Amino acid sequence: MAALAEGAVDAKQMAVASQWQLLWWAFKRHRLAMVGLVVVVALYIVAAIPGFFAVNDPARQNARAAFHPPQTIHFFDTDEGFAFRPYFHPYALRRDPVSLAAVYVEDTSRKIPLEIFGKGYEYNLFGLFPTDRHMFASSDARQPLFLLGADRLGRCVYSRIMQGAQISLSLGLVGVFLSLTIGVVLGGISGYFGGRLDFGIQRVIEFILSLPSIPIWLALAAAMPQDWPATTQYFMITVILSLTGWAQLARVVRGRFLSLRTEEFVVAARLDGASEGRVIFRHMLPSFMSHIIASITLAIPAMILAETSLSFLGLGLQPPTISWGVLLREAQNIRSIATAPWLFAPGAAVVVAVMALNFLGDGLRDAADPYNK
Amino acid sequence: MSDRQDSKTESAVSRRVLLQGVAGVAALAASPPLAFAQAAPKEAPELARMVAENRLPPLDQRLPRNPMVVTPHETVGRYGGTLRRGLRGSSDHNGILRMVGNQGLVRWNLEFTQVLPNVAERWDVNATATEFVFHLRAGMKWSDGKPFTADDVVFAIEDCTKNSELYRSVPSVLTIGGKPAVVTKVSDTAVKFAFEAPYAMFLENLATPLGQHPTLFPKHYCSQFHPKYNSGLDAQVRAANLSDWPTLFRARCGDIEIPSRWGNAEKPTLDPWVVAEAYTGGATRVTMRRNPYFWQVDPNGAQLPYIDQLTMNISQDVESLMLDTISGRIDIQDRHIDSLQNKPTLSQNMQRGGYRLVELVASGAQQCMIYLNMTHKDPAMRAMFANKEFRQALSLGIDRKEIIDLVYLGQSEPYQTGPRPGHPWYHEKLARQFTNHDPAQANAILDRLGYRRGPDRMRLRPDGQKVFFAIDVIPTLYPDAVDTLELVKRHWAALGVDIKVNTIERALYYTRGDNNDHDAATWPGPGGLDPILDPRDYLAQHPQGSRYAIPWTQWYVSGGKEGQEPPESQKRRMKLFDDARATPDIAKRGQIVKEMLDLTAEDFETIGVCLAVNSFGIAKNNLRNVPLKMPQAWSWPNPGPALPQQFFFTA
Amino acid sequence: MLRFIVSRLLWMIPSLVALSFLSFVLIELPPGDYVTTYIATLAASNEVVDQNTAADLRARFGLDQPMVVQYWKWIFGIVTEGNFGLSFEWQQPVSELIWERMSLTLLLTVSTLLLTWGLALPIGVFSAVKKYSVGDYIATFFSFLGLAIPSFLLALVLMYVAAVKFGQDVGGLFSEPYVAAPWSFGKVLDLLSHLWVPVVILAVSGTASLIRVMRANMLDELNKPYVTTARAKGLSEFALLVKYPLRVALNPFISTIAWLLPNLVSGSVIVAIVLSLPTAGPMLLQSLMSQDMYLAGAFVLLICALTLLGSLVSDILLALVDPRIRLE
Repeated sequence: MAALAEGAVDAKQMAVASQWQLLWWAFKRHRLAMVGLVVVVALYIVAAIPGFFAVNDPARQNARAAFHPPQTIHFFDTDEGFAFRPYFHPYALRRDPVSLAAVYVEDTSRKIPLEIFGKGYEYNLFGLFPTDRHMFASSDARQPLFLLGADRLGRCVYSRIMQGAQISLSLGLVGVFLSLTIGVVLGGISGYFGGRLDFGIQRVIEFILSLPSIPIWLALAAAMPQDWPATTQYFMITVILSLTGWAQLARVVRGRFLSLRTEEFVVAARLDGASEGRVIFRHMLPSFMSHIIASITLAIPAMILAETSLSFLGLGLQPPTISWGVLLREAQNIRSIATAPWLFAPGAAVVVAVMALNFLGDGLRDAADPYNK
Repeated sequence: MSDRQDSKTESAVSRRVLLQGVAGVAALAASPPLAFAQAAPKEAPELARMVAENRLPPLDQRLPRNPMVVTPHETVGRYGGTLRRGLRGSSDHNGILRMVGNQGLVRWNLEFTQVLPNVAERWDVNATATEFVFHLRAGMKWSDGKPFTADDVVFAIEDCTKNSELYRSVPSVLTIGGKPAVVTKVSDTAVKFAFEAPYAMFLENLATPLGQHPTLFPKHYCSQFHPKYNSGLDAQVRAANLSDWPTLFRARCGDIEIPSRWGNAEKPTLDPWVVAEAYTGGATRVTMRRNPYFWQVDPNGAQLPYIDQLTMNISQDVESLMLDTISGRIDIQDRHIDSLQNKPTLSQNMQRGGYRLVELVASGAQQCMIYLNMTHKDPAMRAMFANKEFRQALSLGIDRKEIIDLVYLGQSEPYQTGPRPGHPWYHEKLARQFTNHDPAQANAILDRLGYRRGPDRMRLRPDGQKVFFAIDVIPTLYPDAVDTLELVKRHWAALGVDIKVNTIERALYYTRGDNNDHDAATWPGPGGLDPILDPRDYLAQHPQGSRYAIPWTQWYVSGGKEGQEPPESQKRRMKLFDDARATPDIAKRGQIVKEMLDLTAEDFETIGVCLAVNSFGIAKNNLRNVPLKMPQAWSWPNPGPALPQQFFFTA
Repeated sequence: MLRFIVSRLLWMIPSLVALSFLSFVLIELPPGDYVTTYIATLAASNEVVDQNTAADLRARFGLDQPMVVQYWKWIFGIVTEGNFGLSFEWQQPVSELIWERMSLTLLLTVSTLLLTWGLALPIGVFSAVKKYSVGDYIATFFSFLGLAIPSFLLALVLMYVAAVKFGQDVGGLFSEPYVAAPWSFGKVLDLLSHLWVPVVILAVSGTASLIRVMRANMLDELNKPYVTTARAKGLSEFALLVKYPLRVALNPFISTIAWLLPNLVSGSVIVAIVLSLPTAGPMLLQSLMSQDMYLAGAFVLLICALTLLGSLVSDILLALVDPRIRLE
């Protein structure tokens, strides 16, 4: 901590700062972590109000735009001098006379201006206030903008990614955090107390690890009331499954606690009269923080992709629900690879989200590490 | 092209080296072209060689005295080659059946309109259609060289299908009016099927895969697993570690459509190719080699099949089948790859893969039938769905043109149900009523019925509940139906009707139907070319399929003992349907069916979207005699009735 | 120690019985039964099952009997005659079906495991020691890329490129002529030439997450005072790493052995499906999805046994690697 923090934090301030302030100062020095934080915050803003960022109705099919290629936005108009006036060129649909395949030709002679905060399709802000304002919109309703192209039904891939963020960044995360919490608590108890308690908890863990999850999915999917929305059903199932998903982490935490519990600092804390909960969570857990943070950052992409695998099997989220996993699943065929690679854009969204969360996690870890230099 | 041939020769050679001693598998792939300079051979060179080495009787002793003569689709072919096809995962036994196992007593013609002789060279039917005598081919042999006679047919029906331990109930093709056929031997080459009631549709049913029982079980082989013929069977069952003899019987002799039909290389068959590498749980491919005793010849008297061997690789995933296809590693395929969304990719890669597209005429009537559950458990829902005008309004609210353009790439037309256009029983009213897009009229009807719009513009039922229901659909099976329903959802939302596209897993779909738990469901509507074989949308007849009123079907199937009593119109149709099946005269039968379809059209129970879309398959350019257009159906198990035994590879 | 092992081994017997019953219940729990899925599978190709046959099959497989009776019959056969029953679908003995696939499954998963650990551990240590160096960033970037790409998508793209651009077939484990051939030197070479594709694909995501975990664990240890002490004593950097922090950082990995063994059987299902690999995964999945009770039950039983064994092994190893841990 000797190295001076950037900004005007002098030693005096530091001496009286709370632990959270120290953490924040340490965190701020980590540039990538700051970038990660900004991106994560941005992603959650998108997830909160996806309709505002979308340009086209993500569920709206368009017969004249099936497999429409991505369009580029030109920010500066140089026709009449140099001016910031975003526009794009429309594409015209031609049909190959022989194979009847659709061919889209860019019409560079025409410019469709973009309106910042323009009007587009109608949506509900926070599910409450109907509005039709968007961050940007095509000024000509008959010439939609396909920033990242369109899928087989002519739906806007960009808008679908925006919409998909909502589910991908919310539903599954609850399950991830639930199982992490249970895992850390039970693993901690098991490793700290050892003996009979450890034996019992370990048998439960073995039990849970051996249970096949596919039939559980099948059974739960059938047990859910069918008039619930698909997302609610999925949410309930992930929550229920997180009750079984904690076993792996619990075993890892337990292994670590077994080795830590005879350490001097633990003994000292105990002799000091600290409660057992305090020993576990304030003294032992922090020395194990990196692993937990790494587990969280690893669990998130796993969760998003698990959705993809599940829909591969006809379980989990299914279209018409829009999530990144569903979008990736829909892209997963020879046709997309061969002729419409832009359908893999949701994969890029996953990478960005995962990296941002990870750098954020790294920053937190470093900031929290008492030995960090 | 030459690359591929080189590697083929190479692989054939190494296979020969590796399979030395396995009779007649390898040799022909590398058949020398100079064989053509001589007179056209009457049998495959590998068989000729085996005859020369005295390992096989000569051709005239292997063929029946009166072999079936097959007129090739294009031209007389040449011997040789390995035909490659793809299977998908487990439970794809019917992929083999369709190609190979279609050798029933009778068969369909290419147009799917007429029943032709097959194993039976001719038959006599009495005037009341209660007695059928089939005349078999004298001197015909099973694939192991043992004679095939009337005894085999009697054994298959009387000892096997009517054995209550093996089949708890006799297969329905062999039953009419609840009574099974009585099969008796007239002579070695003649066998009589007698029914208690007229069974006019018997021949048509026999030509379908479910009518294959009479030629399925070779008596000399399968009787060793039957307690009537083998007193020491118990020991055998125990030695095989099985629980009872029927299990052993099914493991060795199979049944029409279970995997173990292709899991035993020893079982003799009448098929053009016989199993070499079996379809078992651990298999990664199935191979079959020619049956040296196959009983069909081309017009020159040359024994079929032309092609030596079939290789069917087992892919787990459709996309890898697609890859195999576009890179030219599949010779003929439609199964699994025939979804419309794959068509552009397949047509773009025709040159790379060296194949052409084969058109498969849909045999169904409706691509995506919407079944509203008229027997819903909830009285309010039941009242809503049972109202014909409500269904009319919904039908008028669908913009079918948009769906056809977007989901079916313009390859269909608005349609309700009924035999397809061009079919002699085509019914204009049934097919086209309420298919125009008329939201104004639809809204007017809904207003009149008292479904007022609520504050959010969505309609409310008289009891104050929202008009809302869930439509069950299986996304892994029918992705196009999900797309269609999404559009329908939008169209109906404009009418103020809210639906949920309920994407569920297939077993759940079935159990919800069986328990009558569904609000509504979709499924492709069959009965376009085979209206009388699968009339589930014309009357409540199919306990899993007539999803607008499953309890009515149970009433019908159980003879009034179970389920719910259907309304008069349904009961009348059930009677007409039974009459039609018992009417031998085609014209008269047509009249009865028309009367039935009139009632169906009047009641308008199901809501259709568009005519079932023609599908497609691929065939390699060097694979000839493949019809470029054929039906696609289960009753006409393509490509089987197009006679793959006369397919051949050009040099 | 010996007492500990023996008592744990004895505990496995009641555990297995309880687990087998519970998993039987679970497999049975989803709606429908084997016959329903059989009908549904055929219906996918518009094929129809004779209505009489459907009821017939239920009776034949005993599916119309109560679950407890079905379970009793099954477990009775296993205990008394070692008979795991017959697969409904294949009409073949279950044990035969499973063993048939086991050898290739083990080969594939063990080679994947070796590659994964061989790559991940050194890279993880490196990127922890050289934290925030260029190398660390590269490793981080690629590991997250590997994590974020679904492995079956990677498999599909690879197959597409191989098939369309190079005319190669990368699916399966053998090329055409070797599928049915007896084992020979040529067949082994052929196997190896196919094996690397699934191994690499499977290793991508596994390696990525291991790198992250290893790095995180090392970071926890590297700044601890004992490392400084060791360094002050003049140990070489390498010896120091291997001797202290690495050993401690391995602790979480040893805990994972509990599910490593069962994963050998049940892991990597979807990649195996896409690449058409003849491993146990797709068969397990299929049997669960279609409720082929005895086949699925036997698989789950095998997985249970491996889990119990794995957690015992990992407990023993934990104590061996870290002397601070005592087992009672």
